[in-house]
Amino acid sequence: MRICKFEYLIDDYLLGKLSEDKRAEFEEHYFNCPLCFEKTVQRDELISVIKTKGSSIFQDIQVPKEEKRPSVFESVYAFLTPREWATAAVSAALLLIVVFGVLPNIKATSPDFYINDDRVRGPSITLISPVIEDMKVIPSQFRWQGLGEDVEYKIYIYNHDLMWSGTTKENFIVLSEETKKLMISGEKYSWQVKAFSPEGILISVSSRVHFNISPQQ
Amino acid sequence: MGLSIFDSSFIMEKVKKNKPELTTEEIVAKYRPVVSFRVRKSLGSGTPDWEDVVNNIIVNVIEKLQKGEFRGDSSIGTFIYTITSRRIIDHIRQKSKVLKHAPEPNPFLAPYEEIENKERAEVLTKAIDKLKPKYKEILHLYYYKELSRGEVAQRLSITPRRVSERINYAQKLLSKIIKK
Repeated sequence: MRICKFEYLIDDYLLGKLSEDKRAEFEEHYFNCPLCFEKTVQRDELISVIKTKGSSIFQDIQVPKEEKRPSVFESVYAFLTPREWATAAVSAALLLIVVFGVLPNIKATSPDFYINDDRVRGPSITLISPVIEDMKVIPSQFRWQGLGEDVEYKIYIYNHDLMWSGTTKENFIVLSEETKKLMISGEKYSWQVKAFSPEGILISVSSRVHFNISPQQ
Repeated sequence: MGLSIFDSSFIMEKVKKNKPELTTEEIVAKYRPVVSFRVRKSLGSGTPDWEDVVNNIIVNVIEKLQKGEFRGDSSIGTFIYTITSRRIIDHIRQKSKVLKHAPEPNPFLAPYEEIENKERAEVLTKAIDKLKPKYKEILHLYYYKELSRGEVAQRLSITPRRVSERINYAQKLLSKIIKK
């Protein structure tokens, strides 16, 4: 059904509640809008009957007494019908179930990214030790969190450039004495681990962690 | 004697059809109820000569149309509205001069019109009586007691929007009951 934007003025016009300007505007409008004119005539007839016969028509009506100003809760409650409130409650419950029940169980797939034309996938590698920046002695063992079986790890130790690298299938590597001799007290080093699949595809890379070896006193 | 808005269902049907080009007769048929309504609202339907005012306006409109005074600068509705408003003001000025010291005339309605109006009022009264209490209650507070939407909403613990919806629905129900 069509609704005209002037329709809301019908009652106020008939009850004499419009300002002079609004009244003239509405009157000109119903000269041009048959729909509003028809509705105005109908509503006028209803109001005329109610005004003239209201006392007998509404004799059995119990007028609700003027109530105290509603509380904020009552105003909010009155904003929607019970059915609308029920719909809103069900929608909110579903939303909570999705947010707290379903979303946390969805494991996000690891993003793919490229390093030197190699596609890298899977979670990143967490380095365990050494991660303390100032080491008192030259570390002999480097350890990280493993990614599972059949993964080959390549460990890189950098001074300014790559100083040494080694390969293992364990989640740690023990440096040989020769390698340890390459590391000098007072120098700054960093290390990094890369993981490869059995097919030799790079699947993960750790961050690069720096450490110093304190000068011996 | 002009046609009453209550016995002009034929004209009301014509009003609903918004033809682009109308003949003088069709314009009269289409706008007579609108002019009548406007005049009755301004002068009050108890004014005995409201129908004469309507007739004068219609004659005036026809004359102006025949003289080509309507050039299409506005809609035909606005053109007739302007003539109607001016004639109403003229009539009120004239009456206030003539009837300055005269007694107030008794409300006058043509006998057939009075009967017709009474019958329609009876039908409508019975229809209102058939409404559910919640609709009667809202008609009572809003139209009879003339409370504002906000006040009605507060009394019935509903929103002002719901007040408007309920009134509109009550009007629809009444139309349905009357058509049965």
